[in-house]
Amino acid sequence: MKQKKKSIWMLLLTFIISALLIGCSDGETNTSDENNDNNQENTNDSEAEGNGEPTDISIMTASFTPEPPDESSPAWQAIEEFTNTNLDIEFVPNSNYDERFNITLASGELPDVILTGKTPSFINAVDDGAFWDLTDYVDEYENLGQMNDIVKNNISIDGRIYSLYRSRPLGRMAMSIRQDWLDNLGMEKPTTIEEFYDVMYAFTHDDPDGNGQDDTVGTIVSEYEGPWDIMQTWFGVPNKWGIDENGELYPHFQDPAYREALDFFKKMYDEGLVNEDFAVMDPAKWHDAFVNGKAGTIVDVADAASRNQDKMIDADPSLEGAVDLIGAVEGPNGLHNLPTTGYSMMFAISKTSVETEEELHKVLEFMDKMSTEEGQNLGFNGVEGRHYEIVDGVYTPTEDQGLVYEHEDLNQLLTFIPEERFLTAPLQEIEKKEEKVMKANEEIAVPNPAEPLVSEVYSRQGEQLDNIILDARIKYIVGQIDESGLDEAEELWMNSGGKEYIEEINQLYQEAQ
Amino acid sequence: MSLLSMKSRKVKTNGPLDTNQLTKTQQLLKDKWLYVLLLPGIVYFVLFKYMPMWGVLMAFQDYSPFKGFWQSDWVGFDHFQYFFQNPDFFRLLRNTLILALYDLIFFFPAPIIIALMLNELRMQFFKRTIQTLVYVPHFMSWVIIASITYVFLTTSGGAVNAVVEYFTGEKINFLSSPDWFRPMIIGQVIWKETGWGTVIFLAALASVSPEQYEAAIMDGAGRFRRMWHVTLPALRSTIVILLILRLGNFLDQGFQQIFLMTNSLNRSVADVFDTYVYFVGITQGAFSYSTAVGLFKAIVGIILIYGADYLAKKLKQPGLF
Repeated sequence: MKQKKKSIWMLLLTFIISALLIGCSDGETNTSDENNDNNQENTNDSEAEGNGEPTDISIMTASFTPEPPDESSPAWQAIEEFTNTNLDIEFVPNSNYDERFNITLASGELPDVILTGKTPSFINAVDDGAFWDLTDYVDEYENLGQMNDIVKNNISIDGRIYSLYRSRPLGRMAMSIRQDWLDNLGMEKPTTIEEFYDVMYAFTHDDPDGNGQDDTVGTIVSEYEGPWDIMQTWFGVPNKWGIDENGELYPHFQDPAYREALDFFKKMYDEGLVNEDFAVMDPAKWHDAFVNGKAGTIVDVADAASRNQDKMIDADPSLEGAVDLIGAVEGPNGLHNLPTTGYSMMFAISKTSVETEEELHKVLEFMDKMSTEEGQNLGFNGVEGRHYEIVDGVYTPTEDQGLVYEHEDLNQLLTFIPEERFLTAPLQEIEKKEEKVMKANEEIAVPNPAEPLVSEVYSRQGEQLDNIILDARIKYIVGQIDESGLDEAEELWMNSGGKEYIEEINQLYQEAQ
Repeated sequence: MSLLSMKSRKVKTNGPLDTNQLTKTQQLLKDKWLYVLLLPGIVYFVLFKYMPMWGVLMAFQDYSPFKGFWQSDWVGFDHFQYFFQNPDFFRLLRNTLILALYDLIFFFPAPIIIALMLNELRMQFFKRTIQTLVYVPHFMSWVIIASITYVFLTTSGGAVNAVVEYFTGEKINFLSSPDWFRPMIIGQVIWKETGWGTVIFLAALASVSPEQYEAAIMDGAGRFRRMWHVTLPALRSTIVILLILRLGNFLDQGFQQIFLMTNSLNRSVADVFDTYVYFVGITQGAFSYSTAVGLFKAIVGIILIYGADYLAKKLKQPGLF
């Protein structure tokens, strides 16, 4: 009997212990990792003696490469040395960044610096006092003090700024066009919407690639709604909110130009100038149609022009110079371009981790230093001699993928305030054009007057409200609904919370004035 | 070894008189090792299933991730009230119910029919090959099935539309038409899950004694008679139980599948509770509100499962509980 009892005990013990082990193994590996981190940081500590004790800064940011850099990366160490800091950077894959942000927020253990979008969760956390109000601090810094006013306004919450934006070109939206097709057909680059229509018509029906087959469309659009937004702005449709003569804000679709633009899109669709399956086309693939010579124009971002042309030249070197760029075409009342918000996410500084003003200054100093030329070089280009060489004064990045991964994601630490200062290879013809077009687009940008306003209704139902209007637009274009269907959709929008949304935005707008 | 010996010991001592004489504690003590064995299972359920369940209380809060669960404000039934008053509510309910009904009417019988057909096959090799082949789609992810569907059904060069156009002269926009959305979803489910669904029915059929068939043949029953009077009655209780379980998941439309097949043109029929919870909760960060929606769905599921169980018992069928 005793023997048996013992064996049962053993069995049970094994069960329980193994269960415990399995349950804990995750946690344990994590903690041991952290220990390693600490050890390494400590060794760095002693190395980086110089002007005073290095500051510890923890950062959470997004990553885009499969292997983000770690402390062993020479670029990482160079940044630490340059800024006199010990960095603890957590890279989170961009695809589930928002989720991780929410979880980190909920865990209560925020890093000193955290990347975030202007999401409802961030705004709520700001309301709860989670992040530093930076409005009165940034002006003390040489680079951070030079924020762009439009973008600064865009990231503000109730007129205050709680973050440092990561600058992106405002005038980025533009149309790529096949210059060689225009040449084949003896046409000029379109400057007005009518000319744009004529070009698309010819691209569709007049065999612009001369292969004798009817296999081209004027422009390519995918499930991603961006192109329609950009094109409707050409017609004078306001950017999300328009201002009427009484100074009241109204949603963009109530503007008379909106219906005009939609009629134009419908005509495009009916005449086959745009791909028939756009409403279901995978946005990951639509640029392929342009690259493969199935579409003559693509309305997206300016920098797509050089990317697409590079791919085209790879396949057929004779296509050098085949792509040209147009910022916007002229509508019934002048030139308009839809701007971006001017930033891609922003860095907020936690009040729970960075407790004193003194510490805050250290963190801001770090961010400011990263915006200097040397900081941007280290963050964007890596270390000279390892990640790039200067050959006869020309910047030549390494082609070794392993070395690229060693530093590439560190560019996610950069704000590029006030401007981009990193090293670049000499610009191609098309890239110079991109810069010119983006600059010119800033002049004709249509700002969204409600961009800085934070609506409670929108944070709760924005997605549903947007979808009502976006879906109705697509349905109208493909002919599933007519004018009365558009009216119904607008009514539904009003009844689904749109009325409250308009009221709220107007109230916030008046307060902000 | 030890388990076996314990069992035999139990049989020896467990006379009909014995059990009545033992007190509750004694009974507990007698089988203490079995209870200890049960412990890890109980700990697992309490720790990973029941404890997190308190999270649904979030539905009655205005949850803020920064404040955390304990500091967030309580708002009572606000979120539910808001949800029921929302014009989205009826659209979501309608879409979810219609899809669930279609699923029940068209998908649920499919594995039964396939199982019956497989059961009639004589050649074992052929039967087993077919069985294995119909399982295969079950192991494909919805992402792959969505891509396959897209390739077949697209209007620009899809194989199905090429055939349709050849016969009718017109293309059908399956992917973006609201009318075709539900048939497409049910079609995908049938294609993917029917084979897998046959497993349980085939197992139930294997237990039917051949004597019953032989007797039926003696009575002069043909194939269909035998199916009707022997095979189907043998499956009846399995069908009822699976039906009840299915009703419990009545409102669960495969999130991935619907999410992947939704686009601007069919969204009016495609939005169901699950996708709504995702959009509102995860992408907009309205955790409390989406928890309320999810909780509502779960409650409907519980009501359905108990209702179906009750009905089954009324109809003299073995229920679930």
